Amino acid sequence: MALNLTRYRARRRLSTFTMGLCLGAALLGIGVLVIILTTLLVKGLVGLSPAVFTQMTPPPGNSGGLLNAIAGSLAMTILGVALGTPIGILAGTYMAEYGRHSRLTSVVRFINDILLSAPSIVIGLFVYTVMVAPMGHFSAFAGTVALAVIVVPIVVRTTEDMLLLVPNQLREAAAALGMPRSLIIRRIAYTAAKSGMITGVLLAVARISGETAPLLFTALNNQFWSTNLNAPMASLPAVIFQFALSPYADWQRLAWAGALIITMAVLAISITARWLGATRTPK
Amino acid sequence: MNLTTAIDVPSQTNVNTMPEKITIRDLKFYYGDNLALKNISVPLYDRHVTAFIGPSGCGKSTLLRVLNRMYDLYPNQRAEGAVLLDGEDILAPGTDLNLLRARVGMVFQKPTPFPMSIYDNIAFGIRLYESLPKSELDDRVEGCLVRAALWNEVKDKLTTSGLGLSGGQQQRLCIARTVALQPEVILLDEPCSALDPISTAKIEELIDELKSDYSIVIVTHNMQQAARVSDHTAFMYLGELVEFDETSKVFTAPRDKRTHDYVTGRFG
Repeated sequence: MALNLTRYRARRRLSTFTMGLCLGAALLGIGVLVIILTTLLVKGLVGLSPAVFTQMTPPPGNSGGLLNAIAGSLAMTILGVALGTPIGILAGTYMAEYGRHSRLTSVVRFINDILLSAPSIVIGLFVYTVMVAPMGHFSAFAGTVALAVIVVPIVVRTTEDMLLLVPNQLREAAAALGMPRSLIIRRIAYTAAKSGMITGVLLAVARISGETAPLLFTALNNQFWSTNLNAPMASLPAVIFQFALSPYADWQRLAWAGALIITMAVLAISITARWLGATRTPK
Repeated sequence: MNLTTAIDVPSQTNVNTMPEKITIRDLKFYYGDNLALKNISVPLYDRHVTAFIGPSGCGKSTLLRVLNRMYDLYPNQRAEGAVLLDGEDILAPGTDLNLLRARVGMVFQKPTPFPMSIYDNIAFGIRLYESLPKSELDDRVEGCLVRAALWNEVKDKLTTSGLGLSGGQQQRLCIARTVALQPEVILLDEPCSALDPISTAKIEELIDELKSDYSIVIVTHNMQQAARVSDHTAFMYLGELVEFDETSKVFTAPRDKRTHDYVTGRFG
């Protein structure tokens, strides 16, 4: 029997062509990433030395490090996550558990999605208006709040999504033992959704540890060691921004080193998040 | 665990009148505006196995979910009529749902072990109501697992996740978990439909053994199973109770033509 292969061959050609496009797009994406990482490694490793982790940011022409910026970034990131995570988890829990059928939930979800994709500079300006301007000065507090505002929608989203993945049968089974609602949520739903929720928090950490714009409007920068949350505080992104744009070669070297540190930290967090996500369910 | 003051049941001198653990009277059930159960009245006898059979969508699972008010978890579902548990109407407002569910345990179609260790799956429910010293809790957990014919298979891995067990083992774990609360009634919602014949046989043996202590209500698609395990059988069709009688009568001499057609496999 003679099959007419014309349409089959045309389909094969189209398939090969589309496959080629996909491959090209993938290679382009990976290629750009490799170029960025290579440049970062080559230029960043030059500037990387023990002094980077032990000395303060120097004036132009002097030797120094990034200690105050690293400490500032760590402090504001940790405080921002500590502030934003509980709010996000509580809101996400309400949406997935108590208000699943309520109108409020759809409104909150819609607004949350907007917040999730809001440019971070807008969040910086918002916190500037409500905190920095009334207080009359930049502060690490304001920076923390700005970062927390970025954390909240991410955590809300992942918490809700992960709790919605917990099968209702599990909640029914727990209710069938006479377990009160609050206990079902804390002991059954959270346990089942735990690794997904942790992944969400880690993603939020990764996201805010590289944020520059909201910090420029809030915590500003500080050339010196400062642990005062009510005063401006240095952060790696802000220092990179300032040093990279400067004409001084030693500042530029430090900026590259700082960029390398952030990238590696975010990479490590992302890998941890992935790993936790992969081991979500033992089944 | 004496959770209620039951209305005194008149002493049973006549052996033909068995005590009713649950009495369902004129029960109507709505999903939104959709009437799913139409005036069901049926007794569930104490320490007996009552089976509900009928084609999909006939309302048998819905009926089961009324008996522990599981439907309360969802908006737009409501029941009318009366369901008397030891003489008390559980549909009455003010019924403590958590205590009701502790008295009326339920096992679901799909095994639903909690995401925790085998030991904790059982100890969790016990800890909700009692604070026992560790050794006593260990004994209770072991007792429940023995009761559910699972002990020999899991005694060396009590600390591993309950999710790692096979389907049949998971279902027996769920039964053990239900038995652990020492309920008065156990509701089984197609407990074997996801299991292989060997696991099914084990669960059926278990049901037979449990009925000496508990009133058991089982919903099943499997007529042979209903015939094997139950003392009484109710046939439901399109939200109505068509026939209720002793199991042997329902299967050998049904009064209603629809029951006859269903149990002989002519439809359903």
